[in-house]
Amino acid sequence: MNCEDCKALITALMEEDLDETRAESMRLHLADCVTCATVCEEVAAIVDVATVEGEDLLPEHHSKQIWCRINNVIESEQKPLANVDPQPERKGLWHFSFWQLASGLACIALVSSLLTVVAIRNYYEPAATDSLARTTSNGVFDRVLMKVGLAETPQEQLERKLRERQATIDYWNARVQVRRNQWDPQTRAAFDRNLREIDDSLNEYQTILQRDPEDQLTVEMMDSVLNEKTDLLRDFSDL
Amino acid sequence: MTLVQQSRFLRTTVACVSVVFFLCLGASGVAAQKKFSRTYPAGQTVRLKLLNRTGTVTVEGWDRQEVRIEATLEAPAANITPQSLSGEIVVNLVRDNEGRGEVGNVNFAIRVPFYTMVDIETVIGNLSVSNISSGLVRAHISSEGDIVLLNIGASNVAAENVMGNIFFDGELQDGGTYRFSSVKGDIGLRIPTNSSFRVVATAPSTRDIVFYQCQSPDLTLLGDGRRMIGKCGAGSASLSVTNQRGSIKFFKR
Repeated sequence: MNCEDCKALITALMEEDLDETRAESMRLHLADCVTCATVCEEVAAIVDVATVEGEDLLPEHHSKQIWCRINNVIESEQKPLANVDPQPERKGLWHFSFWQLASGLACIALVSSLLTVVAIRNYYEPAATDSLARTTSNGVFDRVLMKVGLAETPQEQLERKLRERQATIDYWNARVQVRRNQWDPQTRAAFDRNLREIDDSLNEYQTILQRDPEDQLTVEMMDSVLNEKTDLLRDFSDL
Repeated sequence: MTLVQQSRFLRTTVACVSVVFFLCLGASGVAAQKKFSRTYPAGQTVRLKLLNRTGTVTVEGWDRQEVRIEATLEAPAANITPQSLSGEIVVNLVRDNEGRGEVGNVNFAIRVPFYTMVDIETVIGNLSVSNISSGLVRAHISSEGDIVLLNIGASNVAAENVMGNIFFDGELQDGGTYRFSSVKGDIGLRIPTNSSFRVVATAPSTRDIVFYQCQSPDLTLLGDGRRMIGKCGAGSASLSVTNQRGSIKFFKR
C-alpha cells in the first residue's frame, strides 16, 4: 500500500469500515510510514474532539468532506516543500525582443571593433615606444579612445616613455659609475662637463613642457637630448 | 777672479744648465710619444671605420689607390690593431683598449682614396675629413670636439657632437641625406646656391637660424622661430640640422 491509498482509507479505518485484509495492510503501512501515522493521529484527535464536544459538531455524513479539507491543508503545506528545487526555466533566443537583440548585437560589434582597432594600433606602433615625439599625435579617434579609457592621454604617454628612457639611462649610468674611477682626470672632467650641458637642456625642456605639455617641438627636442645622453653614457661606459 | 768675472761666470753657468734642462725635457717628451704607420692597398670600394678614444683624427682624400694610416700615440700608449677585410679597414681603439684605465691621446692622420666611405668616431677630440666624394661621410664625437668637413661630395653625410662646432663645406648630391646635430656649439654649412634640397633646421634655445639666398626658396618658420622648414630648388636632397643650444648658419659656396 502506498501513502495515497493510506490517506484515502484513514477515515474508513477509524470508522472500522474496512475488511480485515485491507485494515491489516494499512496497519503495516502506518507502522512503517511516519507521515501517514502522523496524519492518522491528527484525524483520530479531531474525531475524539468531535466526539467529546458534541455530536452536532461532527455529523457522521460529513466525515468525507472533513477529510477532504484536511487533505487539502496537508497538500498545501507540502507544496512549498515540492518547490524547494525548482527546475530552471529554459528560455530560448526567441524570448528576447527584436530591439533587445539588435542593441545587444550593436554593443558586441562596437566593443569588438574598438578592441580590434586598439590591438592593431598597438601591433603596428611598437617602434614608437622609444620616441617621445609620437606621444602627442592624437587625432579624433585617439581622443575617443582616451575618453573611453582604452588609450593613454599624451601626458600619460609622455610620462611612461620618460620613465622607460630613465630606466635605460640609469642602467648605463650605473656602468659608468663602475668605470669612471679608472679614467684620467681630463676624461672625467670632459664627461661631467658634457653631461651637465645635456642635463641643462633637459631641465629647460621640462620647464617648457610643464607650461605647455602639447608643445610637440619641445617633446621632439627632449627626445633628441635624451638620445644624446644615452649615447654619451654608453660610449663612456666602454672606456 | 774679479767680482765682474764671477758674475759673468755665474750667468753663463745658469744659461748652460737651463739649455741642458730644456733639451732633456724635450727629449723625454719625444721619447714618451710613439709612432704608428701602416699602408693598405685599396680596391674599387674602400670603407674606413675608425673608433678612437681621445685625440684628433684627420682624414684626407688623395688620388692614390692606397690607405695610409699614421698615428702619434701619447703615453701611456694605446694598443692599435687595425683589421683589413674585404675592402673594409677597421681601427677600433675602444675595443683594443677596453678595461685599460688611462690611455694617452692618439692623433691620427689618415690618407684614403677620395672615393672611400669614411665612418669615424671618437669619444673626445676633433675630427676632420676633407676631399671625399663617396657614398658616406660620418663623423661622430661622443662628447666634445669640433667637426670640420671640407670639400665633401658624399651622398650621405652625418656629423654629431655634444659640445663643439660643426662646419660643412661641400656639395649636396641629388637624393642625398645630410644630418648635422649638436647640443652646444655653432653649426655652419657652406653649400652652393644652386643646391636642391629640403631643409629642417631647429635651434630651439637660441632661435639663431641664418639662411642664405638659395634658388627659389620656399621657407617657413615654425614654433616661434625655433624651427625653419622649406626647400630650395626641386628639393631633391634632405637636410636636417639640429642645434639644441647654439646657432645654425648657411653660407654661399
